[in-house]
Amino acid sequence: MDSFPVLALMVLVPTAAAIVVALIPKSRSELVFPMALTLSFLPLALVGYVVWEFETGAPGYQFTQQVLWYEPWGVSWNVGVDGISLLLLALTAVLFPLSIAASKSIDKNQKMYMVAMLLLETGMLGVFVALDLILFFVFFEITLVPMYLLIGIWGSGNRIYAAVKFFIYTALGSALMLTGIIWMGVLTGTFDFTQILDASLTANQQAWLFLGFGVAFAVKVPIFPFHTWLPDAHTEAPTAGSVLLAGVLLKLGTYGFIRFNLTLFPDAAVRFAPWLAGLAVVGIIYGAAVAIVQPDVKRLVAYSSVSHLGFIILGIFAMTSQGLTGGVIQMVNHGLSTGALFLLIGMIYERRHTRQISDYGGVAKVMPIFAGLFLLSVFASAGLPGLNGFIGEFKILLGSYLRFPVAAVLGASGVILAAIYLLWAYERVFTGPVNGEDNKKLLDLDTREVLIMAPLVVLILFLGLYPKPALDRIEPAVAEVLDRIEAVTDYEVPQFGFQDDLAGGGE
Amino acid sequence: MEHIAFLPIGPEIVALAGAVIVLMSAVALNLGRREWGVIAGVTLLASAILSVLQWLRLDSLEVGRQLAFSSSVSGNPDLYFHPMVVMDKFSAFAGVLVYLVAFLALVGSWKLVATFGKHGAEYVALVLLAAAGMHMMAISSNLILLFMGLETASIALYIIAGFARGERNSDESALKYFLLGSFASAIFLYGIALVYAGTGSVSIYGSGTAASGTGSIRQFFATEPVAVMDVGVLLAGIGLIIVGLGFKVSAAPFHQWAPDVYQGAASGSVALMSAGVKVASITAMVRVLMAAFPTRIDDWAPILAVISVLSIVIGTIGAIGQRDLKRLLAYSGVAHAGFMLTAFVAGPVAIPNILFYLTTYVIQLVGAFTIVAVVSGVRSGASRISDYKGMFARSPRLAMTLAIFLLGMAGIPFFSGFIGKVAVFGSAIGAGYTWLVIIALIAAVAGLFFYLRVIVVMFFEPAADAPGTATAEPQLTGGAAFVVYLTAGLTLLFGVVPWLLLNLLQYTV
Repeated sequence: MDSFPVLALMVLVPTAAAIVVALIPKSRSELVFPMALTLSFLPLALVGYVVWEFETGAPGYQFTQQVLWYEPWGVSWNVGVDGISLLLLALTAVLFPLSIAASKSIDKNQKMYMVAMLLLETGMLGVFVALDLILFFVFFEITLVPMYLLIGIWGSGNRIYAAVKFFIYTALGSALMLTGIIWMGVLTGTFDFTQILDASLTANQQAWLFLGFGVAFAVKVPIFPFHTWLPDAHTEAPTAGSVLLAGVLLKLGTYGFIRFNLTLFPDAAVRFAPWLAGLAVVGIIYGAAVAIVQPDVKRLVAYSSVSHLGFIILGIFAMTSQGLTGGVIQMVNHGLSTGALFLLIGMIYERRHTRQISDYGGVAKVMPIFAGLFLLSVFASAGLPGLNGFIGEFKILLGSYLRFPVAAVLGASGVILAAIYLLWAYERVFTGPVNGEDNKKLLDLDTREVLIMAPLVVLILFLGLYPKPALDRIEPAVAEVLDRIEAVTDYEVPQFGFQDDLAGGGE
Repeated sequence: MEHIAFLPIGPEIVALAGAVIVLMSAVALNLGRREWGVIAGVTLLASAILSVLQWLRLDSLEVGRQLAFSSSVSGNPDLYFHPMVVMDKFSAFAGVLVYLVAFLALVGSWKLVATFGKHGAEYVALVLLAAAGMHMMAISSNLILLFMGLETASIALYIIAGFARGERNSDESALKYFLLGSFASAIFLYGIALVYAGTGSVSIYGSGTAASGTGSIRQFFATEPVAVMDVGVLLAGIGLIIVGLGFKVSAAPFHQWAPDVYQGAASGSVALMSAGVKVASITAMVRVLMAAFPTRIDDWAPILAVISVLSIVIGTIGAIGQRDLKRLLAYSGVAHAGFMLTAFVAGPVAIPNILFYLTTYVIQLVGAFTIVAVVSGVRSGASRISDYKGMFARSPRLAMTLAIFLLGMAGIPFFSGFIGKVAVFGSAIGAGYTWLVIIALIAAVAGLFFYLRVIVVMFFEPAADAPGTATAEPQLTGGAAFVVYLTAGLTLLFGVVPWLLLNLLQYTV
């Protein structure tokens, strides 16, 4: 591996882009949108380079770079990528240009909006590469302020309430995590993730640290009962805000669970796994049940996120190879399909300025392209075989059945419920006679909007039909996590006989 | 001792002499404002430089003589004047901080002196006197001298609070400060009396070497068996001393004066009043608790933990509802006092972390209050947050720098306040007070609200039609610009490369 610090560049380029955009003078404000959009392709190119150069199956972290920052505290700029973070980086880098492209109609203080978006990208990319706890915390927190501003300034209706609620919930979680991080630093004398792995913490210390980190991540995911901020934040956020919230921000929590809770506190993870699996199942069914009755289509998708993220948590805490792999791939899948749904909802909201399902009907007749894309996203979200959602949900249910059969059976009902709320919503909005004059005048998607959707459609189909490249990269990283748990605890990962045959999925 | 060593009290001598010269020059030589300013500036910088010289001189001593806070009595600090003052790196650092804060506070609001006409010389002299008193609190090795330093500083500040004569706010501010402050001084003095009753001494280190010293407080704790100690009287004394100093630090529940006094006093004088007093009283508290009573840490640490929690919670909740920036900063100062007190429970090992937090916080405070004086006018009392509407459009530099100070106080990464919080909370967790840190961090999150609210007002809200008392287009010029840019730069510097300061502070223990 050459010493080209590609990760540092990747994390800092959005910040540099934000500064460039901020310096555009008021008299040339028409440059803000094209400039922000163009610059957002730079991190995508760098992530593309990382994905291309990534050595599949190599152990440990790649592209690592460590620069000591303050020795007595053991804090350093320490970054690296493994198979788990690789896919999330790719997801983040893909969603940002699309979100910025979808924000063309933002007219209130557009420059500030773009600056906030680009700073948000620095935070999100940084979280996935940080291998130092303080560095991780810094990036974790950086995401908070731009998102707060995006919801609070450019949101709809009840935006201030939603922004403040989002802020309080997540910041309180981070406060507990920072306590845990400092405590761990005091206990081990370092914040370096790879060194802390070698430190032995007592079962009691692990339990408290697990809870401290766990609450922060549980709020982010969100796990039932910490989910109440999510429907408000998703619903009131601007389209790009919703896409990034669902697509990336929630994954910060699930990623944190794998990277920190499972890896650093294996004893506690084994101990608390049944509880988290239980909460995950509650979240799956509760989220789906509430989604069915939502009159607001954006709120419906928001609650579907609670349900889908429940699947991911179930997969992670099943602590089997299949479950964890499924959880990671499902993080990407959920980002793609829910991101697509939010983008589409944003497009029709710009035309009609309502999100109430009852205001629509027969839209498929006037907007056939829109309807087709929406149906594809709905199928992807519901886990139709051949599309990306299927492979993730299948692996999660398979993996969790090995460990928690009852939870898997109950969780499987979430798949059916998802089909109900998604298809019923589709039926009410798109089929039947066109009701109302406003709906008759609706224009179908224009070229820009189709171009925004195209990459997501391609990825949804690609991951659905040929998930092997993604799985090949995830599985070694997952195996390392599980090997470590097996090595330091007396937990044994349940094995499944013909696992290899299934790895190809819908091939 | 063959000759009198002047270096240990050199900074005080210079500052007091400067005060006398300024007064005399105004009366006898008929010098103008420019000359007072030069004399005061040179005096404060000279005092700061003398403090640096103290530090350098200590470098040439053997290590044992630098350890004024060692919990064993074998520590053998440099004591002077039968032994009234102690010269160690802790007091030298406190000197640099006090005199530089006073210098920056004076330079940043020099326009205030002009509004006092020929009484300006008195104001300048009072600032010098206050600075000398503040440093005296940090260098005392005797509780009586510490009290005298506290009174010298306090009385000067009572007058400064009321110096804008004729403004009703200013009178109210001075009277409140004086009545409550002298009450606190009395409590502190009573505490000293009880400690004397309990230990038979008011000297922290005793004379000569501490180990063979005669009747010092440290000596008492080292030699007397626990049963002999008159614990009740002694603990009451320690408690009253904590109350007295807690008042000066503006720790809850002794904080009620701070918002009213800051709001009423002329904006140009609040930087010294808040930042200088914080430095003096925190360093005095460190000296008394960790040098005189380190062996009773199990008694006073829980008290401090409770005061700390109260300060953090009351300060944060109090700040959330404020509409006046000076009151908001006063309440946030209560919370910051609490944050610093969290580290006290760890004992002397936490001193570098406390000093780091203290330094970075007062730098932010001086900068923020200088901006308040620019925006609201140096003499004005009120400083409504609504005056800051649209500040980014009207005066982007003011808005940006104030945002830096507020984000620093909020403890956002890349600003010095974040490092300070990690440092003090690390100390507290190391001492086993995890619950304290959890409460403190939750409050720190809540604190983000009121800091962010000011920033949102400045950056996102359109300017109000009637700007009220504030200048419509405030400009950052002259001394204020120098102070604001310097403090903002330091806030960023210590946020990114904190070891410049942290490594230095390791020598103060």
